[in-house]
Amino acid sequence: MADLHDDEDIPLGNGGASARAEGEEEAEELRPGAPEPEERARALLTEHPVADGHSGLPWALSRLTWYDLELGDTALQTDLPRLREGAVGAMFWSLRLPQAYEGNRAVSATLALIDLAETVVRAHPEGLRLAHTASHTADARAHGRIACMLGPAAATAIDDCLGTLRALHKLGVRSLAMSGTRWVGEQGLSRFGEEVVREMNRLGVLADLSGSSAATVKHVLTVSKAPVIFSRSAAHALTPHPDNVPDELLAALRDNNGLCLVPCTAAQTGPALRDVADHLDHVRRVAGPECVGISGMYDTESALPDGLHDTSRYPQLIAELLDRGWSDADVSRLTWGNVQRVLRDADFAARAAQLRRLPSTATLERLDGVREVGLVG
Amino acid sequence: MRSPRGGAGDNARMPTHHLEDARALLAEYPIADGHNDLPWALREKARYDIDRLDIAADQTGRLHTDLARLRAGGVGAQFWSVYVRTDLTGDSAVSATLEQIDCVRQLLDRHPAELRRALTAADMEAARGEGRIASLMGAEGGHSINNSLATLRALHTLGVRYMTLTHNDNIAWADSATDEPGVGGLSPFGHEVVREMNRIGMLVDLSHVAATTMRAALDTSTAPVVFSHSSSRAVCDHPRNIPDDVLERLPGNGGVAMATFVPKFVLQAAVDWTAAADDNMRAHGFHHLDTTPEAMKVHEAFEATNPRPVATTSTVADHLDHMREAAGVDHIGIGGDYDGTAFTPDGLDDVAGYPNLIAELLSRGWSKADLAKLTWQNAVRVLGAAEDVARDLGARRGPSVATLDQLDG
Repeated sequence: MADLHDDEDIPLGNGGASARAEGEEEAEELRPGAPEPEERARALLTEHPVADGHSGLPWALSRLTWYDLELGDTALQTDLPRLREGAVGAMFWSLRLPQAYEGNRAVSATLALIDLAETVVRAHPEGLRLAHTASHTADARAHGRIACMLGPAAATAIDDCLGTLRALHKLGVRSLAMSGTRWVGEQGLSRFGEEVVREMNRLGVLADLSGSSAATVKHVLTVSKAPVIFSRSAAHALTPHPDNVPDELLAALRDNNGLCLVPCTAAQTGPALRDVADHLDHVRRVAGPECVGISGMYDTESALPDGLHDTSRYPQLIAELLDRGWSDADVSRLTWGNVQRVLRDADFAARAAQLRRLPSTATLERLDGVREVGLVG
Repeated sequence: MRSPRGGAGDNARMPTHHLEDARALLAEYPIADGHNDLPWALREKARYDIDRLDIAADQTGRLHTDLARLRAGGVGAQFWSVYVRTDLTGDSAVSATLEQIDCVRQLLDRHPAELRRALTAADMEAARGEGRIASLMGAEGGHSINNSLATLRALHTLGVRYMTLTHNDNIAWADSATDEPGVGGLSPFGHEVVREMNRIGMLVDLSHVAATTMRAALDTSTAPVVFSHSSSRAVCDHPRNIPDDVLERLPGNGGVAMATFVPKFVLQAAVDWTAAADDNMRAHGFHHLDTTPEAMKVHEAFEATNPRPVATTSTVADHLDHMREAAGVDHIGIGGDYDGTAFTPDGLDDVAGYPNLIAELLSRGWSKADLAKLTWQNAVRVLGAAEDVARDLGARRGPSVATLDQLDG
């Protein structure tokens, strides 16, 4: 299935490349013998740009009183000039919230971030475009825009309610974190939690298992009919950080056809660019070249590895991988193809589920025997 | 000439040709009703299990609303209320409102041949052309946005086209008609909410709000306002009704006041009776608006010993007569509040009853042109005008980032 989707994407990629002047320039430079890795990286990225699995931009912007992403801004690690320099073609904009927003503020705070994302995209029509599906992403790219996808949202953002989940999906949310609620915790999913996963499958909302317990990861992998993602997890075997994934689960991810997006943070991958490359090597080896991607983690207040200080640095990372012998095909999957495939698989699974299932009316109190909060009498 | 008041025989005395004329008129200019609480009824009575309470089947006795009776009533457009109770606050109110919106979406997905999603005046006209019921949404109470303009915009994105500024209780930035004076109408943030609603094309609904709030909103709003379900205070002195000085401002504003049928607002004897019945409900430990079977039992016991004064089609027509005088025929409409009220007037028992009201107005000498405005044209015009204002403002102003803390301190 992965190969089939790759085939679909290649003609689109060529279309996108030929629409860009710099694409042709670099193609010229490719001909005389073996190019330097960074030039090869740039040439590859022109055709297969980076789909960044986790950007903290919405929350970072919500803290600023003024910004202009077109001009660029030193208060941020992300702006349009640096995104273009870094060959970024799509980004997941995280809607995660600080701990203080859990409780009775998560829904409103998430709606505020979605609203802000819409405002930011509207204010930069030449650079950004909101995308809800793989097709939107490809379309944005064909128009030279960076596709912005919303997610992950915090699990608390659905307020234990499937109607609210469907409303967030309607507003564009395409992935949901899986931890920290009454229906998903250290022990895995409750019965209602399983129903949440099935409803996410029916809608086409990806389960994001970064930050989930091992029990939850296994449980979701059992229930989910669609690929899952780790939006910000590296290899636990190399760096034993709690958000990193052990090899056993990376192997399970391969069976699920999911995606592990390796974060560029010093804490999870190590202090240098080559440490990130080590993790990408490892995840590719264990989960497979179809199941690995990159998360920049920019503007999330994480300490970044040397050489990856902002969104312009992806070509250097890709050059390192090419230097290590990654094939062009594997690099193109890493940067763009795998994210596209997972989005298409999730859409496909959703369409199939919608033929079989109506919107679920299950409630937490009915499935888990918890008294509903807020209703009196 | 007015027909005789009151009594259950009211409709029987209605000449049949008026009823036929009413049906013919509604076939061309159907009812655009401002307020129906079916989504809340589905939540309370079936926990949103719309298989269990299917409006494709006859739900007489269980709901005021089902598809066959909407057809029989000549309904061509409905603002479905996505009301949530005011004891839900903060995120719980927002989340419950999102759930209500989801319920309406499910109804539309389930009955595409009868219901058509409508977001604009053009959608309403398209639905009329197709013989489907234009389905719009209105939020009932500012508690649904949890003091956040971003949440207001999210509701608009999800299809909500009016927001009643308050329900029965005051909120931080607006006073309710049925609460003690708080901010004295609208707070500075309340005015900003109205401006933002104008900017995005969400109608400002002034049912349920205090008269001070009505006047404050009319001062600020550059778009027409609506009263989605309120009648005339001059005819029946209840705070939920509209005072004449406000009705008289509607021609200047372009808005529309949609008369409601709720007996306890439109008939003075029912107002008094309801005050006693509410006290009885609270004495038994229920919320006075509770419509669960247990609560209804308590209500029925009260009614057995205290006969309920009965409003009729004629009672509602009296309000419309007065509202036409005070506001003008271009500024009136109908908002039945079906499934949002325990009792309904005789002759307007459920959504199939609208033709009786139109027949009554015909018998009082209302012209067909006036009735077409009342039932359909005014509502469509108001939504279209709000869209025009939004297009204009949206080109000149960005989304407001004002907060309650910032403006109200």
